[in-house]
Parts: sequence; C-alpha cells; structure tokens
Amino acid sequence: MSQISENKQISPYMAFYMVTTMQIGVGILGFERYIAKTAGHDAWISVIVGGLSFNVLIWMIYRVLSRENADIIGVHRNLFGRWIGGTLSFLLLIYFSSTILTVLRTYIEVIQIWVFPELGTPIIALILLGLAYSYVIGGIRVVAGLSVLGFFISLPLFSLKYYALKNAHYTNLLPILDHSFSDLMAATKGVTLDYLGLELILLYMPFLKQPEKSQKWAHFGNLFTMFTYLITVFVSFVYFNQEQLQHTIWATLTLWKIVDLPFAQRFEYAGIALWLFVILPNICIGLWSVSRGIHRLYKIKQKSALRIMILVIFICSVLIIDRQQIDILNTKVSQIGFYILYAYIPFLFVIQLILGKGRKTKNG
Amino acid sequence: MIFFKKKKKKQQQESNSNSTKGTLTFPELMKKLKASADFSTVKQSSLSTFYISYYKTLVNPEFVHRDLLPYITEIPLKNLDDIQKHLPLDGMVKTDDVHDIANKVTAGFILIQMNKDDPEGLLVPSLSTENRQISIPETEFSVVGPKEAFVESLDTNLNLIRKRLPIPEFTVKEVRVGKLSKTRVAIIYIDGIADEENVNTAIQRITDIEYDHVVDSSYINQMISDNENSPFPQLIDTERPDRVASVLSEGKVAIMADGSPHALTGPTTIVEFFSAFEDYFLNWTLASVFRLIRLMAVMFSVLSSPLYVAVLTFHYEMIPENLLATLVASRNDIPFPPILEAIVLELSIELLREAGARLPSKVGQTIGIVGGIVIGTAAVQAGLTSNVLLIIVALAALASFTTPVYQMSNTIRLLRFPFLLFAQFLGVLGVAICFAFIVSHLLKLTSLGRPYIAPLYPLRVNDLKDALIRLPFSVQNRRPSSVRPQDKAKMNKKRAKEKHDIED
Repeated sequence: MSQISENKQISPYMAFYMVTTMQIGVGILGFERYIAKTAGHDAWISVIVGGLSFNVLIWMIYRVLSRENADIIGVHRNLFGRWIGGTLSFLLLIYFSSTILTVLRTYIEVIQIWVFPELGTPIIALILLGLAYSYVIGGIRVVAGLSVLGFFISLPLFSLKYYALKNAHYTNLLPILDHSFSDLMAATKGVTLDYLGLELILLYMPFLKQPEKSQKWAHFGNLFTMFTYLITVFVSFVYFNQEQLQHTIWATLTLWKIVDLPFAQRFEYAGIALWLFVILPNICIGLWSVSRGIHRLYKIKQKSALRIMILVIFICSVLIIDRQQIDILNTKVSQIGFYILYAYIPFLFVIQLILGKGRKTKNG
Repeated sequence: MIFFKKKKKKQQQESNSNSTKGTLTFPELMKKLKASADFSTVKQSSLSTFYISYYKTLVNPEFVHRDLLPYITEIPLKNLDDIQKHLPLDGMVKTDDVHDIANKVTAGFILIQMNKDDPEGLLVPSLSTENRQISIPETEFSVVGPKEAFVESLDTNLNLIRKRLPIPEFTVKEVRVGKLSKTRVAIIYIDGIADEENVNTAIQRITDIEYDHVVDSSYINQMISDNENSPFPQLIDTERPDRVASVLSEGKVAIMADGSPHALTGPTTIVEFFSAFEDYFLNWTLASVFRLIRLMAVMFSVLSSPLYVAVLTFHYEMIPENLLATLVASRNDIPFPPILEAIVLELSIELLREAGARLPSKVGQTIGIVGGIVIGTAAVQAGLTSNVLLIIVALAALASFTTPVYQMSNTIRLLRFPFLLFAQFLGVLGVAICFAFIVSHLLKLTSLGRPYIAPLYPLRVNDLKDALIRLPFSVQNRRPSSVRPQDKAKMNKKRAKEKHDIED
C-alpha cells in the first residue's frame, strides 16, 4: 500500500478520534435499556468487559493488517484468492453500508420523535447525506478533521450530566454483582453494537501515517469510548430506577430534558442538534471507507462509488418507515457485527497465522 | 487554475490589438507617443545636437532642467556613451529595442537620442510621483503601538517594512502584472525563514495572473486565492507595516502592489483574522481575554438572530418561564413571523452600514444616528418588530465590527443569512446543519496550499499558543508550524527561560 502519497495520509494520533467518533454514535442516547434488561444495575460491568474485549480485537485487527501491510480487501485477496476474497470483501462492505444506514435512520428517527414529528424522512435524509457528501468528497483528511471537530463539539455535553447527578440515588447501584455470569454475558453481547464502528480501521488503516504508531491511539480511543459509556450508564442508573429505565427508550435524551439554565431549558432540542456532529463523522467515515472499498474492489472511481452508495442508502432509509423496522435493523446489524468481530476477525487471525507460516516456509 | 487558463485563451485572441506587443518599428512608436498632448520631444543644439523625449506628466520638467541638461549641454558630445558618462545618475539603459523603449518611456523614463529617427537611445529614469503623506492606520487603528500606515507608493511601503527588518535576508521579488496597468507587484519574504514552497507558490500564482489592469492588491487577493468562490478571505489584507514585518518574521510571505495601500500576507489561518495586531502590544492576559471576547462576539454575531428565529418558530419550550414573559410582552403585537422580522431588521442594519460607508464621514454619522435611533424606536413603537430582536440584531451588528480584519467582518455579516434561512426551515437542527456545511467548506479551504483552519485541524498544539489566546512572549519560542518555516526557532529557549535567583 505504498502508493498512497503522504499528503493524503493522516497523523497516527487521528486513530484516536476516528475510533471514538465511529464508536459513539446514536446508540449512546438509549442503550441503557437494552443492557439493563438482562444485567440490571450490574450492566456497567458488561460495559467494561465489552470495552476490554474490543481492545483485544483492535490488537488482532492490527496484527492481521500489518502482516499483509494492506487493508482488508488486500488481506482477503492474498489469503483467499481473487474470487472468494472478493466475495468476502463484498459481504463486509454490505455490512459496513448497513451500519451507516442504521446510524442515519436511527438519528432521523430521533429527530422525528423528539423535534419534528411532521418532517418527512426523505427531506432530512437528503440533507444529511448531502452534508456527508460535501465532506467525503474532500477526502480522508477532511473526514478526519470532521471527527476531531465533532469530538470537541460534543465534549461539553458531558457537563449536562451534572443536572442528573443533582438528583441521583447512588444506592440504585447496590448490591454489586447481583446477577449471574450468563446475564452479564448477555448484556455484554447487547453492548457490542455500541462499540461497533472501530472495525472500519480495516479499510482506512493504510491512510494512517506509520500505522504501527497508531495502534496505541486506537486503543486509547476505545478506552475513551468505554469511559464515556461508563459515565453514561452510571448516571442513568443512579437517576432512574431499573423499572423506570425499562420504559425509557432514550435515557440520555430524557436526562437532557431536566437541564435548567437561566436562559434555556429543555436542552434536548439543542442536544439533538449538536448530536449532528457525533452522527456526521459516523456517516462520513463509513461512506468514505465503503466507497474506498468499492473503488479497490471493482476499479470504479471512488467519486462514482460514493454517489452510488449515497443513492442506495437514501433509498433504503426512505423504505424503512416505522419503529419496529428500525429496531429490527438495529438488532440485526448489531448481531452481524457481533459475529464479524468476535468470530470472523479471530478466524482471520488464525487462518492468516497458519497460511502465513506455510507461505513463509515455502519462500524460505 | 481553470480561471487562469480561460483568461490566457482570451488574452491570446486579443494580443493583436495590444500596442506594446507584436512588431513595432521606431517611427511607428514615435508617432503613437506624439499623439498624446503631454508627450514632448525637444531638440537641443547648443554644442552638439540631441533629442530629449518624455512625458511631461510623468517626468518633472524641473528635473530635466536642473539635473539633466546642465551636465550635457556644456560639453561636446559625440555619442550616447558620452552622455551616459557625464550624467551623474544611475539606472540608465542604452538600447535600440523598440519594445523596451516603449515600456520604459511610458513608465517615466527620459529618452535621449543623437539622431531623431535612430532607434538607439539612452533611457534615463526620472519618474516623479505624487505621494500621499504617510498617515494613521484607519481600519486597523490601535491605541498603543506604531501609527504608520501604508500609502499608495510601493517604494515608500517597502521602505516602511525594510526599516523594521534591517537584514540582508529580507528579499523583495518584483513582478509586473496586468497587460495594460503593468502594475509592479512585490513578493516579500525573509530568506532562510520563509518556506521556499510558499514563496514559489506565491510567485507562480502572481506571474500566472492574466488580466488587463490590476488596480489594487485586493484584485490580486482574489485572483491568487485558492478557492475564489469562497466568501472567506484567504490572505490577510493589512495596512500596517508593523504587522507585515511581524508576519514576515514568522516565515510568511507578503505581497504588495504599487498603487495599493494594503499588503497581503499568507499563508494564513482563520484564527489570524480574529487577532488584532494590538493584541501584541498588551499584556498577554488582557490580550487573551480580548481575543476570547472577540471570538464570542463572532459566534454571537453569526448565531444570535438565527437562534432567536429557531427557538421562537419551533422550540418555544426551550425558553424558561421567567424569560417567556419578557419575550411574549415584546412580541405580543407583532404581526410578522420571527423570520420576516429578523430578515427585515438584519437588512435594515446592512442598509445603514452600506449607506454610512458610501457617504462622506460626517453625513455618514448622521445617517447612523437617524437610522439607528429614529427608525429603530419607530419600528418598535409601531409594533413592526419586537424590541428584544432589535437589541439582538443591533448587538450582533456591533459584534461583527469587532473583527479586526475588515474583509472577515464582511464575511461574518453575510454568513448569518444562510443561518437564518436554515433556522426557519429546521430550527436549531437547521442551525447545526448550516454550521456543518460551513465547517465542511472550511476544512477543504487552503491558503497558498496550506490548511486554512490549521492550529485547530490539523491540530498544532504549538501554534495554539498564539491562536485563540495569546500566551506571553517567553513561551512563543517557535514560529507557527502551519507555515512550515525553514528556521523553526524564534529564540534561544534556554536563555529566555533562565531564571534568576532571589538576590541575583
């Protein structure tokens, strides 16, 4: 992958922003309910377990890619040959596209439920995708810039937790370790969706200068995400009791409602607007990676690939109409993502280990 | 680049009509020159005969009679070399190139010939220019610090900068731009500090300019900017020689045009547009606070009226109870929706500003008072606008004037109109979307090929010391890395940091 010129590449530390902004998406606004369903007030343990296991996965992804010195499409081609490798890459790209769709459609749903009930999906999808287009067309540097800015714009939203903590019941968290191991594991599986997104490193890693240096940043990024989720879960758990939480779809958004500043209240309107800067990097990094993948796979110009992708995602997002479908989409994508990360990546890791050794001895 | 290509093609078509290009014989040239009433050819025949031709309007006749003729009329002369030998002037050129003669004579040289129809002549420089006195900076006024501003003469301006940087590395490259105006454009930099690539980019872009007349440096600013469709200025436009000297020492490049009292400096970043040069004359704590206030002012100026429209149109739940009463009272009798109210008020403020800018300063002030007080009060009392919005709009206009660079303050005032439209369409979300569009534009923007929002992205922690805030000079030990200076260190950090013991 030495053909990428240096002025197109981004600094290694950008991996931090790219990983966290990709992981923290729309899920954080309401994931407490899902994980608390099985693990109750102990679900924060699942958040930690999930986060740490993703660190292992990051390590594996870096090993897999650095051995071949390529992106996942190159790895697939080297390991499985042109046809099987190409098919695997294609399936992976479909999965990535569906994560973009999930994020976009869920955010549109949030907008429709909380701010503009009358607003049609096509209009807002068109605007958001147009916005994403204007970023992705500028290349990976612009997309990375957006994720840095998005990170810093959304950082102050943490301070809003203060209003919830004013009314906190810390005893909600007791007794610790009240749930069985299998309950915790089920919640860990549920939390996976919220850590998903870092697997896009598989496609953009060749664009990081000195990828080996970026690995630690990717780990930091994942840890930052874990930290964010921990705070979120903690605040939601001490504010709501478990039964209340089961009836709260968007816990974080509900918490923003209680913000009371002298010049503004009902902060969720502003919060949802600011959340655009969390969602947009998600969509942009996704679109960039997928269009890049298509370009690598089929020798289509990346610009055309991007336009096709935007059209496809636009059509799909319009076709999804109600809450049930969005819920199904979220569950399915998170399940597929779970298997891709916890099964396919280790599988790739092992296969490469076996095949790689074989090839080396052949060459030697 | 397409822009330049287009111009080039056009220029080739027109080049036949261009008088100074193509083949031209000497008698033809003389005929053309004599067609002007202010061109004079005098035959001198005291001891020997020779002809002196010049534009009376470009050359001071006093110079001819006092500094030129006395030296050569008293001596017998055989040829032009004799004249050249006896004249105590430098910069004389002996040539028989008709184009050279045409160019120089029209630029204020005196042509001396031994023979009227012989193309060989001696060109003596003697341009007399009418200069304005160096005056106080008006758009970038500062209370403390130097009170000099550039004038229209390039040489005077270069003098103002050079005396602040008396080093041999201070380099001036000169290019002539404009088919008709032949404007002298100087590219100024400090050799060994400025990045060669930046200098070359600047020179390259300026020599590529194809246009018939370049009146002011702002023409050049638009022609060489990286994205000419962007409302954001990509080079800083300053009238302060001290500011130019200071940015040159940071490793940037300055561009000056003859006839323009403004220098352009680049590569620049967006934060520079919000730093007044006066920030460096104040203590760093004060300067930092003022910079932050200015930044807030910009945010307020762009976002306040759009947010008013967004909240009052879509999200009245966001207004706290106590504030609601005030707002309701002020908007009670207003017949218009917030967006109409806001646009009308914003436009009338723009109207006032535009009228004030076009009128002589004394009348302008009166217009400001009449417009601001009389119309504003009347509009509120008539129930056409709410006084809360009037306050917001007036404050926003005031805030936009705190931007130290004039071109940027224009941009900021313009920016709020798309925000207003988005706010009317999608409320607070629309404001965020509009902001995201602008961020996308800014991320793609470059200045002389360097990223425009540099210290923020790509993140340069070192440059942040002099960006949103200004830290003391003792920690400003490195030149901004976004301009890639060849010599990165501003000073010896160790010596600057040396601490004295209590009684030393």
